[in-house]
Amino acid sequence: MATPDPTVVERAEQATEPTSTSSSEPAAPLTFQVKNLSVWYGEKRAIDDITLDITSNAVTAIIGPSGCGKSTFIRCLNRMHELVPKTRVDGTVLLQGEDLYSSDVDPAIVRRRVGMVFQKSNPFPTMTIGENVVIGLRLNGVRNQEFLNERLEKSLRMAALWDEVKDDLHKPGTSLSGGQQQRLCIARALAVQPEVLLMDEPCSALDPIATAKIEELIYELKTQYTIVTVTHNMQQAGRISDYTAFFYIGKLIEFGATTKIFTNPSERQTEDYITGRFG
Amino acid sequence: MIAPRHILGTFDEALASLRNNVLMMSSLTERSLERAMKGLFDRDDDLCANAIADDEEIDQLEIQIDRDGVAILLRFQPVASDLRRVVAAMKLSSNLERMADQATTIARRARKLNQHPPLPEVELIRPMYEQAMSMFKDSVDAFVREDVDLGRAVVPRDEKLDELNRSASRKLIERMAQDPEQLRGYLNLIFVGRCLERVGDHATNIAEEAVYAAAAEDIRHQTAAATV
Repeated sequence: MATPDPTVVERAEQATEPTSTSSSEPAAPLTFQVKNLSVWYGEKRAIDDITLDITSNAVTAIIGPSGCGKSTFIRCLNRMHELVPKTRVDGTVLLQGEDLYSSDVDPAIVRRRVGMVFQKSNPFPTMTIGENVVIGLRLNGVRNQEFLNERLEKSLRMAALWDEVKDDLHKPGTSLSGGQQQRLCIARALAVQPEVLLMDEPCSALDPIATAKIEELIYELKTQYTIVTVTHNMQQAGRISDYTAFFYIGKLIEFGATTKIFTNPSERQTEDYITGRFG
Repeated sequence: MIAPRHILGTFDEALASLRNNVLMMSSLTERSLERAMKGLFDRDDDLCANAIADDEEIDQLEIQIDRDGVAILLRFQPVASDLRRVVAAMKLSSNLERMADQATTIARRARKLNQHPPLPEVELIRPMYEQAMSMFKDSVDAFVREDVDLGRAVVPRDEKLDELNRSASRKLIERMAQDPEQLRGYLNLIFVGRCLERVGDHATNIAEEAVYAAAAEDIRHQTAAATV
């Protein structure tokens, strides 16, 4: 297991005691402060009164059974859920202290600040590898080719893909293997220099080697980004994350340092789920 | 605490089998210690031979438990209380094996003592034996019943055992000076005392593992209780 940064773990252990605000330790910097967040799809409440802080430059894993609201939750962090008809949100989500749902906030800008990688890699099929990476910048009006080339290389290097594709940038993105396509999507997300990377089961369609590459990448990227990832793979959550949140039927059951959750969870429901005794 | 059934029945079976082997190993170790000490007190060489013979089965169980524990870690990647139970079972087996080695050493020393006229000083060993065995039984009980309070209570009892050992050793050394002809006999009794003192150390380890398995609390080395 990748060893989490001890200072991060320490902060997480403090974070499991929300009332301990009088601590003399400096507060951990927070990227998101989610307060009383509820989401409805039509009449159905998908998540219910979630309050959760997400620490900067750390990996937070969201775990829970299918339908518990994990994906809905992370989609609320960049307003992606608004693309689903009849969605209603209540509560607040602060990104670096700014209310994401304020009427004067442009969702397109939110999605640039908070990038997302999906379960299934989705490079644009008609574009080359290079075009896929810089499309976000082009859509934002960047035309300077030198700048685009620089950002292209930097993003592909950060996604640990540059060495594999540097001579094939003109080839279609879909010509890559599944694992490479997923890293291409990560490079595409990084190209617009987001503050946060959301990942919705980024390895679920990948083989163990491609999964290992993505996991190592996540571990490296957290030095520069705040990462929130949804996963069904308990061992993966244990390996890559500093904090873990367990959701069940739309509710946050437990949140804390990953080492604590996976060795001594406080809630019986968490224990039953992670040890495979649920339901 | 009996957890609800695992979604994989084979996991429950594997965990139960691991636990049963630990219980079997602790029963054999207890019997081996009892035989060795009875062999000493009753001057019975057959019991000493039985205690020595028990060791092989206990060694095999240690290997089996390690193998099963590694297989569980590999196949099921347990977490939380399951992980703690597997780790604790493997650590228990290591401590039990060393206790059984102490029983073997005691039995060998007893056989040497039995070749000579009885020494009344053997009674100096009895309180140590009682203390060590009660610690051993309680530590295993704490593991089996996941009784944190009992496990915690075993640990400080080791100090009394250490004190009994120091006191017995002092008296035996005095006797060696007074009666040099029995020097070997007194020396053998000192070694038996040292074996029992080590049994107490292993019982303490087991009690600490029992607390960790049940409550994820690390109480080793006299540090302030720190939860993971």
